[in-house]
Amino acid sequence: MFKLNLKIAWRNLWKNKGYTFINILGLSIGMASCILIFIFIRYQMSFDEGFKNEDRIYRLTTNWTSADGFAESQGVPKPTPAAFRNDFKNQVEKVGSIRQDGGVIKVKDDAGKERIKVQEDVFYAEPEFFQIMNFEWLEGNPNQSLTQPNTVVLSQEMANKLFGDWNKAVGKTINYQNRDNFTVSGILKDIPDNSSFPLNIVVSYQTFKNYKNENFNSWGNTSSNDECYFLLKPSVSIDEIRSILPKFSEKYFQKDNSGKEEISAQALTDVHYNENLGNFANRTMPKKELYGLAIIGAFLLLTACINFINLATAQAVSRSKEVGVRKVMGSLRKQLVFQFLTETLTISVLALLIACVLTEIALPGMRSLFQDNISFSIISHPIILVFIVVLVIVVSFLAGFYPAMVMSGFSPALAIKNKISANAGGLGLRKVLVVVQFSITVILIIGTLVVLKQMNYMREKPLGFNPSAIAMVSVRNDSLSLLKYQILQERVSKIPGVLSTSFCRNPPSSSNNNESNFRYNGTEKANFQVNTKVADENYFKTFGLTFAAGRGFSKSDTIREIVVNETALKKLNVVNFNDALGKKIRIWDKEGTLVGVVKDFNNLSLHEPISPVLITTVKENYRNLAVKMDSKQILAVMPKIEKIWNDTFPENFYSASFVDDDISQYYETERVMGVLFKVFAGVIIFISFIGLFGLISFVATQRTKEVAIRKVLGASTIELVRMLNGSFLIMVFIANLVAWPLAYLFISKWLSTFTYRIEISIWPFALAMIISMVITLITVSIRSFKAANANTIDALKYE
Amino acid sequence: MIKIENLEKVYKTEEVETTALNGINLHVKEGEFVSIMGPSGCGKSTLLNVMGLLDKPESGSYKFIDTELLTLNDRERSNFRKRNMGFVFQNFNLIDELTVFENIELPLIYNRIPASERKTLVNEIIERMNIVNRSGHFPQQLSGGQQQRVAVARALVTKPKLVLADEPTGNLDSSHGNEVMELLCELNETGTTIVMVTHSSHDASFSNRIINLKDGHVVSEKINKSRNEELI
Ligand SMILES: Nc1ncnc2c1ncn2[C@@H]1O[C@H](COP(=O)(O)OP(=O)(O)OP(=O)(O)O)[C@@H](O)[C@H]1O
Ligand SMILES: [Mg+2]
Repeated sequence: MFKLNLKIAWRNLWKNKGYTFINILGLSIGMASCILIFIFIRYQMSFDEGFKNEDRIYRLTTNWTSADGFAESQGVPKPTPAAFRNDFKNQVEKVGSIRQDGGVIKVKDDAGKERIKVQEDVFYAEPEFFQIMNFEWLEGNPNQSLTQPNTVVLSQEMANKLFGDWNKAVGKTINYQNRDNFTVSGILKDIPDNSSFPLNIVVSYQTFKNYKNENFNSWGNTSSNDECYFLLKPSVSIDEIRSILPKFSEKYFQKDNSGKEEISAQALTDVHYNENLGNFANRTMPKKELYGLAIIGAFLLLTACINFINLATAQAVSRSKEVGVRKVMGSLRKQLVFQFLTETLTISVLALLIACVLTEIALPGMRSLFQDNISFSIISHPIILVFIVVLVIVVSFLAGFYPAMVMSGFSPALAIKNKISANAGGLGLRKVLVVVQFSITVILIIGTLVVLKQMNYMREKPLGFNPSAIAMVSVRNDSLSLLKYQILQERVSKIPGVLSTSFCRNPPSSSNNNESNFRYNGTEKANFQVNTKVADENYFKTFGLTFAAGRGFSKSDTIREIVVNETALKKLNVVNFNDALGKKIRIWDKEGTLVGVVKDFNNLSLHEPISPVLITTVKENYRNLAVKMDSKQILAVMPKIEKIWNDTFPENFYSASFVDDDISQYYETERVMGVLFKVFAGVIIFISFIGLFGLISFVATQRTKEVAIRKVLGASTIELVRMLNGSFLIMVFIANLVAWPLAYLFISKWLSTFTYRIEISIWPFALAMIISMVITLITVSIRSFKAANANTIDALKYE
Repeated sequence: MIKIENLEKVYKTEEVETTALNGINLHVKEGEFVSIMGPSGCGKSTLLNVMGLLDKPESGSYKFIDTELLTLNDRERSNFRKRNMGFVFQNFNLIDELTVFENIELPLIYNRIPASERKTLVNEIIERMNIVNRSGHFPQQLSGGQQQRVAVARALVTKPKLVLADEPTGNLDSSHGNEVMELLCELNETGTTIVMVTHSSHDASFSNRIINLKDGHVVSEKINKSRNEELI
């Protein structure tokens, strides 16, 4: 019986090749998108998994509540781990610090010649950290390898890179920052990509504690580099810790009128998803984005299934006779439903095979879009196979069940006489489904238009300074390097094509920011903090900053003269900026004179408003040389800068980046989102319109006789085309009306995450309507024109 | 009114070429009622379709009053057809989705008659056809004879000069068939020219002239004396 059904299924699919093709094409594209989205989500959800006791591991974080709002850091003040260990003895099993750092690693060969020089991330970790997180060790163990100062543990890959063979690495020495020599005391198994802990070089925390300039008693300083993890005792609930933490914070943090500082606890399982708190891998994936993707995937699949349902129910009429005959022969409805579901299953499986091929083809693009190492390996991730099987079953039921019910429900008496009318297959439902399908399509079109417009706006919005053709060349700030600043600057300035240079900590807009309290004009500490920028006197010229009042400061190595932005003075309630010139400002326990007010510039991403900014001179805090170049000569200039730099600092590692690249990096999420929207909108438009084409083909066939009669009665081709198109245009029009409010909600929510954003105008909506209506018109006209032009009389001959 | 000369029509399919009309000559006077008879496959329907401008012959000439129709382009043919001709088919060919009223109204819409005028015209003909209480029904709700009366009504509503009927009684029993034939006669009496294809000599006896076709050409012609006398 099953074999016979399969045979009939196969013959039917073959007979209606056109519809089968449309169904399989739509379904396979929809399925491929779903599989891609699934493997991406699976990959993202696999981060930081598999640690023993993973549900008892937490990270301590710091947050500030102030008049300006709420801020969080993934780090804690350096004394926190010790204090926490002591105060929470009864609740917590282990507490371990880990600090991220980075610098130049050198390895010498046996003869003492420098063999390798690389810039690497380096971590300082307490043995407890590795007791909490059971990373796999190939050699050594946390207790032995990380208790002594100046010992280092390498990952297998890093050991291979530095010493050729990790088996021979233990006992050898590496040099860090031309300063320390560390002995290799252990080897870690390579940490997979899906980890928030890219630990390749881990130095004992004791080494860090021995540095003279590090202060382990100050609670007033929090660096996002200082993370701390703890392991809860099995019987203790995290709520208990959380209820005591406010008291703990109160006990240690200094009270101060500008805000309240607190320590809180974050579960390890949240580390990869929380975008407000970062992690060492610098990759977070907010869960809401994953949900968003899952929803888009569901939409895609739904759209494809709607095609299927529409075409199947439309075709149902032509199969009514078969149903009638089978019923007369004694087939039960259940058996018929089963038969039709077999057909759907056949189509779904075919579609799946194609979907797998499409997935493989699309995967490289997806990998480069997300810069993640996602793979479509059923063997290493059997869950993907489970998903695929579930997908096929769900699709078969979603797409097949309703048509099966319709067809199996035909009355045999009518069916045999071929008296089932074209409307029997749920014409009303078909219309509703088309409206749903096109609403989804229109929402995606509108969304895409708005996302692209906002991206464009961000690219083109004047930031208040000129970030183009400026390289930030990093420099060290140790005393030896400081001595060479002047010679470096002089030599770089002489390169033809270099317009201006400035030593500074950060460019005007940066994701590295320093906030500080200050006193204005001898009064109380201001009730807000300023974003501080330290730079030399050429900063304003190099970045094209302009003044609202006063001038730039003159050359100095320490705080002497100060420049602030307009926002800072407005927040201090200064109305006339000139009044402020000459006033004293006290910051970092030093005093300077306010000599200028720069016009406001965007110092953060366009998601954020402009902060109050203070710019002054502190030579030992510069970390970069900003080099403004003639944009046509960048390619020629950069290698020359590198050469001069390497001549000047032969011991160090040259690195440079472009300011405009760094700025566009702020919008990486939005860029990815833009690409996704474009792709998925394209896919959904394609699926919807091939579905529409299938449907109009069907309708045209169904109405051949009617078209012929009308033609005999004098209808012109245009009138016939208009008649056939009419209902489709109306459906798409209604879909637009349904889509607009939903799209409006969605885009206004998305745009509200930007402080600087485009106004929502009628245009994306109108454009989406025009696009959808025009494509509909073209799609259906192609087919209805053919129908209206077909030979009339043949259609009239027979009943 | 109609002068057809040397009409030839060949159907080409993949395998065979069928000469459906092979040099037909036919004249029809205004107000005449002509029957076309002949064995199955001799080209009757083809001739009617060519006369109704639904099909294009290979060669020959077709003059309607003084207009040569075979040189017209598609749009002109369509316009000419909707102004001057009405059709009645064996299988009625009503549109299932439209009511009786709407079916009859359709040719008026294509002739761009204003709505109010359409209403009077349709109601007039519905009354004449004796189907007043059926005007809101759909075709499936009518008997075959009623359906054919609707089809005749639809063919007449535009007051065409020429009505072409292809076996109008073929699907009807004899009493219903007679009703339709009487309708056609009444119509003919008001001056409309009718060309009808039929297999039934009973039906043919209602006409003025009977033309016999065989293998695509006219083999004989017979004047129906009784009817012509009646006419006088
Ligand atoms: N569309 C077509 N394609 C090919 N051959 C056709 C076509 N229409 C008609 N024919 C052929 O042309 C010839 C004449 O057909 P036509 O329909 O005019 O016959 P008829 O006299 O009306 O027959 P009947 O009395 O059975 O209705 C037949 O041999 C038929 O097979
Ligand atoms: Mg015929």
